[in-house]
Amino acid sequence: MSLSKIVLGICLCLNLLCVVACVPVQPWERGNLAKPQMALDPYPLQSALRAHNYGSREAAAGGNAAQGGGCGCY
Amino acid sequence: MGVIKKFSGNPCRNDGIGLSLKALTAAALILPGLFHPAAQAAEDDEVDFQYSHYQEGKRDILESETTRKNNANPIEVESIHGGAKISLTDRIKFAFNYTQDTWGGATPIDSGPFVAGANGAIKTIGIEEIDSIGAASPLISHRVFFDKNLTPYKQILKDGQFIHVPDKRIVHTLAIASPETRKQGDFKLGYEWDNAAIDIGGGISLEDDYESRFGNLNGRLDFNEKQTTVNLGLSYTNSDIDAILDHDIGSYGNESNFNQYIQVIDEETNTKKIIGNRQDWGANLGLTQVLNKSASLNAGMSYTRSTGMLENPYKRVEYFFIDPDQTPNSEGLLQGGSNAYIEQRPHERNQWNWNLGYSQYVQPLDAALHVNYQFFHDDWGINAHTFEGDWVQPLGAGWTVTPRIRYYSQEAADFYQPYFFSFNKRPSQRDEFDPALLQQNYSSDQRLSGFGTLSGGVTVAKQFAKGLSLEAGFEYYTHQGGLKIGGGGEQDFADFDYWTANAALKINLAALGRGASGSDGGNFHNHHTSHANAPAGVMVAHTLDKAGDIMLGYRYMWNNQDGNMLHQDSAVSLANLQNKGCFSGQGHFNTCLAAPKSMAMHMHMLDLMVAPTDWLTLMLMSQFVNMDMSLRGTPAFTGGGNLAHHIANGHETGGIGDTGMYGLFKLWDNPSHKVNLGLGFSAPTGDVDIQLRRAHHQDGGFVHYNMQLGSGTWDFKPSLTYTGKADKFSWGAQVSGTKRMESRNKSGFALGDMFQGTAWGGYDLTNWLSASVRGVYTWQGRTKGEYPRNKIDFVPTPETEACPNESFIIDDGNGNISFDQAGFNQCIVEIRNANKEGLKSAIYTDDAAYRSNPADLASNSGGQYVDLGLGLNVNIPDGAFAGNRLAFEWLQPVYTRQTGYQLDRDGALSFTWSYGF
Repeated sequence: MSLSKIVLGICLCLNLLCVVACVPVQPWERGNLAKPQMALDPYPLQSALRAHNYGSREAAAGGNAAQGGGCGCY
Repeated sequence: MGVIKKFSGNPCRNDGIGLSLKALTAAALILPGLFHPAAQAAEDDEVDFQYSHYQEGKRDILESETTRKNNANPIEVESIHGGAKISLTDRIKFAFNYTQDTWGGATPIDSGPFVAGANGAIKTIGIEEIDSIGAASPLISHRVFFDKNLTPYKQILKDGQFIHVPDKRIVHTLAIASPETRKQGDFKLGYEWDNAAIDIGGGISLEDDYESRFGNLNGRLDFNEKQTTVNLGLSYTNSDIDAILDHDIGSYGNESNFNQYIQVIDEETNTKKIIGNRQDWGANLGLTQVLNKSASLNAGMSYTRSTGMLENPYKRVEYFFIDPDQTPNSEGLLQGGSNAYIEQRPHERNQWNWNLGYSQYVQPLDAALHVNYQFFHDDWGINAHTFEGDWVQPLGAGWTVTPRIRYYSQEAADFYQPYFFSFNKRPSQRDEFDPALLQQNYSSDQRLSGFGTLSGGVTVAKQFAKGLSLEAGFEYYTHQGGLKIGGGGEQDFADFDYWTANAALKINLAALGRGASGSDGGNFHNHHTSHANAPAGVMVAHTLDKAGDIMLGYRYMWNNQDGNMLHQDSAVSLANLQNKGCFSGQGHFNTCLAAPKSMAMHMHMLDLMVAPTDWLTLMLMSQFVNMDMSLRGTPAFTGGGNLAHHIANGHETGGIGDTGMYGLFKLWDNPSHKVNLGLGFSAPTGDVDIQLRRAHHQDGGFVHYNMQLGSGTWDFKPSLTYTGKADKFSWGAQVSGTKRMESRNKSGFALGDMFQGTAWGGYDLTNWLSASVRGVYTWQGRTKGEYPRNKIDFVPTPETEACPNESFIIDDGNGNISFDQAGFNQCIVEIRNANKEGLKSAIYTDDAAYRSNPADLASNSGGQYVDLGLGLNVNIPDGAFAGNRLAFEWLQPVYTRQTGYQLDRDGALSFTWSYGF
């Protein structure tokens, strides 16, 4: 569990960092953020495919348990 | 609202202005309180299709060191996906997806010391005896010498004496899977507030041996003027495992550790199943934070708890028992004997994931950089790290190129080893199971080993005008023990690689809507609707109106066969069928042991029509096909063997079908009557060499003729169509045909030619709905040629050997020597007959193995059919989805006359969606 404490610590640090580093961005200043290339996942269809491939080949496939994907028994 | 209206004109008139307006519009949408105009589809309303191919590289089983050949094709997966996201109202969103994968090929089932001789060969029926992994048995030797450090030793001949030398190498045992199909459907229904959203989703994934049902609930909350977003999600999956135990593996492995989950489903054939259930609960929490005008950060964590049967029921482990009381041999080595068990994993797993991502807009290049790190930890002892990065680079004119790289490294699970030891005497009976002799959990699944992977790829996307975009992606992936962080990964026997290629087509409904309301929109969609009301089952019935028009269509056809076996137009009992239905191409009757019980064919077709001139429409049609057949035994089938496996499992195939290319010429075109001539070709892009897996020590051979994915030949497809319309009535007729332009495909056969004539009448019930009635006559020719025969295992006795001249010399003792010509002739006739019979019998043996089902004989194909079609067509005249057209048709068989012995027909459903722009 010490591991999760470390990660929790990292998260807290990030929040603190944000308090310092985040600059208020007005809605009309968000043109760049709204561009398609800045989407969190620009190609969700392909990402789902890749996640399915990784999930059937690697042990760390957690985090998307309810996306289906079947057995991947091969 | 005003802002959006202003910018939702026609972005296609000027790409540069259009794009920047789009970005501004999208930015404005982040403003609280601004939503999409009601009459239009929302910005993200979309229909998409995707195809993907996964190809694994060949596994190294050290074949160069043995006489064995690795003939097995590695795993290959063909996938299609279709989905839509639709705004039902301003605030209610609905999305659904359908995904289908068909996979088959060779995959590892366990691993063991190379010296134990995994992948041993078995002689196959009727085939020249070669040591071939394509026909592998999973048998590994029961005895291996180990030293005190448990290093395996191999025996070599040196100076005339056998001695043992260390050999640490490990190999996988490969097993081959026949093609199998997984189908998944899922949906999501969401409600959006100004600063929050909630959605509920669910779905089902179906495979023969695995069925998953899942549901999820997600919430999103925006605050801090939408600079901060928090996501929370919960999910639940319930999966049933229903795996038939492989006869091949069953005969050498030990399944008794799974006795509590094993059910015998057929006593006669000793067919057994593992029945199990698993459940997965998941929760995730995510945070997205705008850092400044050009950067954002996202962080998340998730927890998944899995319980129940977490094993892969097909994976085995090799356990070597080393008797502590044995006396070492003269070299001080100990002997270990092996048993193979089904892998055993804990029945509980708790998994945690943390991820951190950063996105940076790079102003000078108008590009974006995304980097992501993920850490995974579970209570099986696995820690894993994933680093990912991509660079999204727009190139102008709608093109975007995105290179990406990913590195992953994981530690091994506590209970993973390539093979195991027990320092006990080996149980004398193979199926004896004493858990006290084994670890609590054990697995040799390489996915639980320590390794690293490196993958990289590129995505190229092109945004066309009118909301259409294409994406194509490629990725190469390598898995290596040596890539693990900190070293200590698995040996290189487990290394493998794969590549994937995919292509997707996306249609943004909002952009289409803008096209409609733009200055050149007007009556835009209605151009295509006149005379286009042919029933859904009629192909290439209409042309586009004018040069520059484009139409995109999706077509689904389901064709089902079920019921009696027919001989011509009358039902035939299985008892009669077994004696007459398997008339071999070699001119004799073979006994049918199995027959089809049902057969379904699903075809997904995507067609793109383009009109380069007013009088010509070009059409490209790609197909994705999948088929499944269930089987039944005839009275002559007494159970057991290879066939029992096939009857219990049924057969499935799937993948890309043939590709059609058509030119449609307008011969006559006025408001009431239209005639078009279609000249088309079908390219043989579908597989025609799919084979079934080996089961019960026997190769499966080629799958039934009608379950290959294409014709394998270039085909000519002409058609002539007439359509008419007056007031609310419409009508039409079409003759079409298929002429095979080659006499044989690469698998030795050619499907029969086809002719079809059809006529229909329709009536507009409302301005958006019409109904149709249709009659269809189809003549389908018989398949010519046949699959290549196996090498027949028969050597004729030479006549000179059977009837040597000297045997027919008659010496009467008085010096009179004569030749018994009559006796010699008789002998020659006899030996020729015997050779003929011998060859026939060898062919019978081959037929008994590979042609014992009427569907495996080319002569049982083709026929004449009459069907009645009832259809409905929906044209959406206005609103957000104006221009979309849906059509359904059910074809009910009225008369069926099958050539030879074939399954009766049940009916066919056609569904089409098309959109002109």
